[in-house]
Amino acid sequence: MDKILRINMGASGGPSQSIEEAGEFTALGGRATTSMIVAKEVPPDCHPLGAENKLVIAPGMLSGTAAAMSGRISVGCKSPLTGGIKESNAGGQVAQVMARLGYAAIIIEGKPATDDLYKIHIDKDKVTISVDNNLKLMDNYPLVEKLREEYGDKVAYMTIGSAGERKMAAASIACSDPEVRPSRHCGRGGVGAVMGAKQVKAIIFDDNGCKHRQPKDPEKFKAANRAYVEGIRKHAVSGEGLPAYGTNILTNVLNEAGGYPTNNFKTGFFEGGTKISGEAQAELEIKRGGLATHGCHRGCVIQCSGIYNDKDGKFLTKQPEYETVWSHGGHCGIDDLDTIAMLDFLDDNIGVDTIEMGVAIGVAMDGGVIEFGDCEGAIRLVRDEVGKGTPLGRILGGGAEMTGKAFAVERVPVVKGQALPAYDPRTVQGIGVTYATSTMGADHTAGYAVATNILKVGGDVDPLKPEGQVDLSRNLQIATTAIDATGMCLFIAFPILDQPETFEALLDLLGAFYGIEMTGDDVVALGKKVLNLEREFNTKAGFGAEDDRLPRFFKTEPLAPHNLTFAVKDEELDELYNWS
Amino acid sequence: MQAATDLNLQLTLKAHLISEFYPLLQRGVWLPVITGDNVMKLLNNQLGIAEAYVTDRITTLFLDGKAIDDAAASIVKDGSTLALSSAMPGLVGSTMRRGGHLAAMRGEITYHPTQTATIGAGKVKIKLFNMLMQEVGPLLLERGVLLSGAELITLLDEGASSFRDGCDSFALNSQLYPCAELGGKLLTTLAPQQTVLLKVVWKD
Repeated sequence: MDKILRINMGASGGPSQSIEEAGEFTALGGRATTSMIVAKEVPPDCHPLGAENKLVIAPGMLSGTAAAMSGRISVGCKSPLTGGIKESNAGGQVAQVMARLGYAAIIIEGKPATDDLYKIHIDKDKVTISVDNNLKLMDNYPLVEKLREEYGDKVAYMTIGSAGERKMAAASIACSDPEVRPSRHCGRGGVGAVMGAKQVKAIIFDDNGCKHRQPKDPEKFKAANRAYVEGIRKHAVSGEGLPAYGTNILTNVLNEAGGYPTNNFKTGFFEGGTKISGEAQAELEIKRGGLATHGCHRGCVIQCSGIYNDKDGKFLTKQPEYETVWSHGGHCGIDDLDTIAMLDFLDDNIGVDTIEMGVAIGVAMDGGVIEFGDCEGAIRLVRDEVGKGTPLGRILGGGAEMTGKAFAVERVPVVKGQALPAYDPRTVQGIGVTYATSTMGADHTAGYAVATNILKVGGDVDPLKPEGQVDLSRNLQIATTAIDATGMCLFIAFPILDQPETFEALLDLLGAFYGIEMTGDDVVALGKKVLNLEREFNTKAGFGAEDDRLPRFFKTEPLAPHNLTFAVKDEELDELYNWS
Repeated sequence: MQAATDLNLQLTLKAHLISEFYPLLQRGVWLPVITGDNVMKLLNNQLGIAEAYVTDRITTLFLDGKAIDDAAASIVKDGSTLALSSAMPGLVGSTMRRGGHLAAMRGEITYHPTQTATIGAGKVKIKLFNMLMQEVGPLLLERGVLLSGAELITLLDEGASSFRDGCDSFALNSQLYPCAELGGKLLTTLAPQQTVLLKVVWKD
């Protein structure tokens, strides 16, 4: 990955393109690359949908190699949802194909002077940017079907649906999966709206004639990859739980802990939880001839996804993830898996973030638009309102915060304008610290369970003492930021958390590929560097300490069944970014 | 809370039918036990689950909705609910793990041992999640679980075709019958509010 493709959509006479040397980004990837470029090139006070914002696409450090689990693609920009810096990532085939084409990043800047809609085709020899107004307002599934007629199945597609074209703040960017379906999404933060603002409907990545990226030390790389895969396979989470039940394995446990936000964060226990659990979902998928174990990209050994068929045994959607099942399920008082699966399909097709969309609907339910538990009503809101761009649909597609304002709802679960995911911070207070302080807005993946115990970032924290939640969150955010640069799936967190030899194997993989020695300290330094840049961007964009807060109702409304409020003090939250 | 039963039902079933019990096992089943023991003793001594399995496999436990860090110091009272899970993904999954590195992040819902517990006959509700449904479920059902008539009727109704194919025989209050008579016999002898002690004999 030694080059960067820069496309100026606003060049006079039509979009222009140029190739630059990757320079410092040659040995970086993912979030590190997107955030560094955005921090350097985008004015923090620009309008997110204006010509000055840039959409940066970057594969991971090991994408396009034979390394397992290396297929995450990152997209960065100034977020139309939060107003701050954004990195959103997804699985699917795009990262692997783009990396094999040799691009460390693609930067899309400017804005066309006309209302033409563009598609970009990239192969090993050239980049073709062409107008295709026939694609206007097409949604992702029919859009990819149409593109396949022209470009075939041996390419990867990155597309936006109608929500992206309409520049809705919850719009996502779809990445095609191994079956060439637009089912994997860079969902968070409205990155699809930025692509829509650039009037780019689709990017087609064609790596025909390209080979795997080759490591500097092939033997060491091969051995490290073997040890790394063994570590993933032997761990109970990545080797058993996730493949069998997917991420929705969490529903029962969160419900039991009283931390499953229900009916727009009114209670922590959902009576219908067992009906929509990962266990119930897997049984149903298998019974209907779908799959409970399936990978979202080639080279995945965890296989936490699946195929969800309808009652007639026909493909409906990919296996909805825990966050989706929650946002459209318990959060909305819905305990019907078929309804949730239909909503997942509609979200993917229209091209909106499933978390933001589900939370917005729950807020709308709280505002009296429809009743909690109204399955048909929820489908109608997404399909007929968001999908058709009606005024109500544009409010919902603007996200949970906008919906809360439109319907005068007091309980709006957002931080920096981004909807909270599926863990109530009153029950698990440590994740509340991450929600409040993340540069990305409320984000459950911002401080993942990465190997802070091995890295010893910021010193040891006694796991059984309640003090130190801020320390733990800080350590997790630093480590996660670094992992996000590798392009590795975050689910490798569990084997590298528990098995030091698997963490070593990951470092060896990176070291053998780039011909360098990597240590835990390097990982920590990278994480801190990227977080500092992101924080600085947000400060210049107008964010202050008052934005590193959870909504007040988390402090004042006790959550049943444990009757807890969020108790971490503001002064403690303000300490999170104090590191040397 | 003595575990009184109105009916004893023993089903002889093919092993794969354990999956028909998954919804029930997730919601939880009552077991007649000696309460006042700690969780480790309950699982190991009373229910026959090997200590190594409890330690290595049952890594996420909740007692009355509180996360357990030390199974030997957590006392099961009469009427308690004990939920058992294998290792969980995600930050919060790791946070919930017994004695895990991130336990501090859920300090407010951590179980703190109590000193007082009355030892005696009682019952405990056990919930099984994920891999444990298949691995521990058969053992619990073999030992005997308490169901309401309504729960039993729902179970047999939802899995009707599977039970028809995979049931060898059943015994109602020690009287043996062919499986074809199962539904009819229960409907005539069982009221929804009655309590049934259900035991399952598994056949390969």
